[in-house]
Amino acid sequence: MRYDSTRLAGSSPVAVKARRGQMDGGFLLLVLVLLLMGLIMVLSSSYPRAYYDPGKVTGGKALYYFLRQLVFALLGTGLMLLLSRLPMSFYRRWAYPFLGMTLVLLALVPLIGVKANGSRRWLGVGSLTVQPSELAKLAVILCFSAMICRFREKMRSFRWGILPFLGILGLIVGLLVLEPHFSASIIILALGGSMMFLGGVRLFWFVGALGAAGAGLAVLLTFFPYASSRISTWLDPFSSPSAEGYQIVQSLYSIGSGGLSGLGLGAGRQKYLFLPEEHNDFIFSVVCEELGFLGAALILVLFALLILRGYRIALNCRSRFSFLVCAGITTLLALQVFLNVAVVTNLLPCTGISLPFFSYGGTALLIQLGEMGIVLSASRENMN
Amino acid sequence: MKKIPMCSVPDEQGPNRQMLRRALLLMAVCGAAAFALLLAKLCQIQLLEHDFYEQRALEQQLREAPSSPRRGSITDARGRLLAVSASVDNVYLSPAEIRQYGEDRELIARELSRILDLDYEELLEKTGQTGSWYVTAARKVERETADAIRAFKTAYGIRGVRLEPDTRRYYPNDSLACHLIGFVGMDNTGLEGIEARYDDSLQGSAGRSLRSTNAFGTELLFDSFEDYEPGEDGCDVVLSLDAAVQFMVEKHLRQAVEDYDIQNGAGAICMDVNTGAILAMASLDGYDLNHFLDVSDEVRQQMAAAGSEEEAQQILDAARARQWRNKALSDTYEPGSTFKIITLSMALEEGVVDLSSSFYCGGSVSVKGRTSPIRCWKTEGHGGQNLTQAVQHSCNAAFVNIGLRMGPERFYDYCEAFGFLQKTGDPEENLTAKTGIDLAGESGSIWWSEDVFCSPRNQSQLAAASFGQTFTITPLQLVTAVSACVNGGRLMRPYVVQRILNPDGSVKFEHEPEMVRQVIRPETSEKVRSILEQVVGDNKEGTGRNAAVAGYRIGGKTGTSEKVSLEASTGKKEYIVSFIGFAPADDPKIALLVFLDTPSDRSGIYISGGQMAAPVVGNMLADILPYLGVEPENAEESDTTAMPRLEQLELTEAAARLKEAGLQARTVGEGTLVTGQLPKAGRSIARGSQVILYLGTEIPETEQTVPNLYGLGYEQARELLAQRGLFLRSRSPLLHGEEQRVAYQSAAAGSSLPAGDVITVTLISADDSILGRY
Repeated sequence: MRYDSTRLAGSSPVAVKARRGQMDGGFLLLVLVLLLMGLIMVLSSSYPRAYYDPGKVTGGKALYYFLRQLVFALLGTGLMLLLSRLPMSFYRRWAYPFLGMTLVLLALVPLIGVKANGSRRWLGVGSLTVQPSELAKLAVILCFSAMICRFREKMRSFRWGILPFLGILGLIVGLLVLEPHFSASIIILALGGSMMFLGGVRLFWFVGALGAAGAGLAVLLTFFPYASSRISTWLDPFSSPSAEGYQIVQSLYSIGSGGLSGLGLGAGRQKYLFLPEEHNDFIFSVVCEELGFLGAALILVLFALLILRGYRIALNCRSRFSFLVCAGITTLLALQVFLNVAVVTNLLPCTGISLPFFSYGGTALLIQLGEMGIVLSASRENMN
Repeated sequence: MKKIPMCSVPDEQGPNRQMLRRALLLMAVCGAAAFALLLAKLCQIQLLEHDFYEQRALEQQLREAPSSPRRGSITDARGRLLAVSASVDNVYLSPAEIRQYGEDRELIARELSRILDLDYEELLEKTGQTGSWYVTAARKVERETADAIRAFKTAYGIRGVRLEPDTRRYYPNDSLACHLIGFVGMDNTGLEGIEARYDDSLQGSAGRSLRSTNAFGTELLFDSFEDYEPGEDGCDVVLSLDAAVQFMVEKHLRQAVEDYDIQNGAGAICMDVNTGAILAMASLDGYDLNHFLDVSDEVRQQMAAAGSEEEAQQILDAARARQWRNKALSDTYEPGSTFKIITLSMALEEGVVDLSSSFYCGGSVSVKGRTSPIRCWKTEGHGGQNLTQAVQHSCNAAFVNIGLRMGPERFYDYCEAFGFLQKTGDPEENLTAKTGIDLAGESGSIWWSEDVFCSPRNQSQLAAASFGQTFTITPLQLVTAVSACVNGGRLMRPYVVQRILNPDGSVKFEHEPEMVRQVIRPETSEKVRSILEQVVGDNKEGTGRNAAVAGYRIGGKTGTSEKVSLEASTGKKEYIVSFIGFAPADDPKIALLVFLDTPSDRSGIYISGGQMAAPVVGNMLADILPYLGVEPENAEESDTTAMPRLEQLELTEAAARLKEAGLQARTVGEGTLVTGQLPKAGRSIARGSQVILYLGTEIPETEQTVPNLYGLGYEQARELLAQRGLFLRSRSPLLHGEEQRVAYQSAAAGSSLPAGDVITVTLISADDSILGRY
């Protein structure tokens, strides 16, 4: 990692107009490779469900999910390239309006959202739906980055460094709880916290926040049996392999039976309706089953490389806003990947978090690729 | 509004040192530490705990179908099914899964007890054995029952009740040839007869197919076979047996057991003399193969009367062992006079006698080593006789004489050659032998040791053996040896399995007739045949003439043997009466032995082979020979004539034809044109019968009740039937000038027949002075 020693001092304002250079080829390549792998895995994991069509969705067309994902992948790649051409100043300028729009959408979800599995998380018409929570993640990154840049040294104070951020997070999480959308809340809280951490908030606030989170968790476990049953399922999924533990047990069967080299691409068995959400939140279980530890590790390493590359782009940014946005997006990516894989391997209690570039879901993919486009945009303004 | 470029925004600056530090920290956590954690976890699941998860995953993904092989069927020589397997299901519980899925035990027990008609409490208890994955609820349930259980499983989503395919054995002919066919146990393993002996061939080998399925248990799109061990269906076994012959034999044997009040069962063997093929082998009492554990009502009454449960069980076990025992194969007996065929054959072969030899019977004969002389059955003696007469008369004195002429060593050697004994080299050892038939449960003969038999000081063993006493053999051994005597001298190995077919129908094994040895020369055999034909065919002197069938040349020999051991213990004489016949006498195709163990005095018929067993053999041959396509000879000489076609003839013309056929007629109605006749054209009826001609009148379609003809003479019986519009036909030739009476009628007394029908009777001669005891 190379960076300018003068910038490490953090004092010299960059006065030179950012030259729009080449985008970061390594980052783009990693994104495209993961996207391609993701598409293949959507095909492999989804065709049994699409074929048997137990939910009466696909009409028995085995390629149903794959083709839709393919369309969004192409659209998303276009969006990524488009967003990579826009200057970072554009994002800074639109950060607040974007947050406002997101809040409006979030507020609309409980009112007119599409209901599925007991939650209203989607807005949309017909089969074209969007989760405003995905937009909210990007809004938090952009908005917090802009705020941090504006508040500068005041970030160390409670009034400027904590209150406005907590206010925004509180508003978003409050709206998410109404859906309810627990996993998105966690990610947005973690993401917001990371942004504040980068922005210079004093560390003892984080200690306090962790304490508060612990207390909150204790309250949750004490008063909400639903939450505590999740914990007991997490600790011993085989206590109820056909009920609460079914999902995670099936996931572990998939991952475990993959072994070192896997059953072979397409040859997995768990996707034959044993494993729920096999092309969605649990697609990584299918990866593990079919490609084995070697394949799964390769994909994780590619993700790690992408994340490291993202942070490197951030560290190379000459603009604080670009730095914060890149680091934020990269952190978001890392959070999603980590939480998804941690959940399917039962490292953490089960909750629905999708795996970027892999999980089936058109608009989420679109937004994720858009975010990558923003990072690429920032990379173009770096000194190459 | 024109904005200044972003870079010149006042607060535009790079990240400060703290930000960069914190970013590096985040980078380390999110880009490295987190992934290290994930990889470690994957390592644990995929590498360390791989076997555990794979095992559990396979349990739910794979369905093992134990492809239970189809047990081969057993058919007779003409392909008639004797034993066949059908698919059924076993029902079992998986209490461990009932618990695992929290299924309603009471519901399961209630529904299963309703569907399977089982005890509710017992089933409830079984569902509670939660440590087990397999508890049998019911075995071999039929398709409808299994379907009802499937419907119940589906309706309630029950997983703890399972069905597994099995097969069940069916015997379409119930008790027919039961001892030969045998049966299988619950585990489809053969326990008796062919089922046991050819179990390996019939059983096949169980295969298994392992299929991966989706969560609904249906097959995957492709690649669903994970592992497949092809099982192999069992081979079909084709017997030499002919079910029709078996049926005829069993029918007449059963009739005999009833008529003569046989106390201890009976048996019969029909063998192809040229190949050794068993065409029929019967043993009474039999049992229904489909319910081989069931015993007769009589036995059940005995069990009910038994003092203790143990005693009842003993009665049951004994009764089952008795009904499963194949007397023709597993019982040994003293053959008595039927063995004279063997003595005759060896003597002719050795030239110690010939057709011109003469013998004198004074009623008894003295033998060295025996204090009292051996008596002939005819105490006043047969007087002077030639060889043929000695056989016809079944004269013991003559045969003692023949045996002595042979000498014990030669006699012994021939007994070995005929397969009755096998020398071991130890002269002090009692000897035994078996035919080596391909059936389980064959008993061996019991003979005196060479030292005893060949003792120069004591010839009583040889003397008694000459007419078939003081040793025991199986009925099968006798049939096999007699077949050799009449077939040109070749001792054939008897067999039951003609061929074994692979599941695809190709031949796996074909029996080739196996000649054990040439015992006598064909010329000798021819002499034996002609002498034995005189035993049956000679109207005046043959002891076997009750076996005669009109139109057929039949040879044979009677036998009556005392059951010695019984006489010693109870003082009561018991007999086994037997007859062995073969036909046609000039070119034998089959040999047929019937033996009746312990007829009762109460039957009113004199206890002897000639009076009891010979007519039974005659009845059987009268059915079997036409069935086997043996054409009757000298039909015109017989006392039976065929009814001519008389319809649409002038009465005068019809009368002429009737006269030609040796028939009389009475007319019904007015006119000169015959419009109808009874019986129908072509039916064989007794010569001299009065037929009915209808002149312009409809033939009345009336049912007639069959009268009891037993004990009646020929003419009497014909008259009695004629009164009812029924007609007589005798399968026995008429012995002119001697009293014969009906000993068997083809339609039971009291049954109904349409007018004009023909009843076949067997006539026997009852002249004890000729038929005698032996």
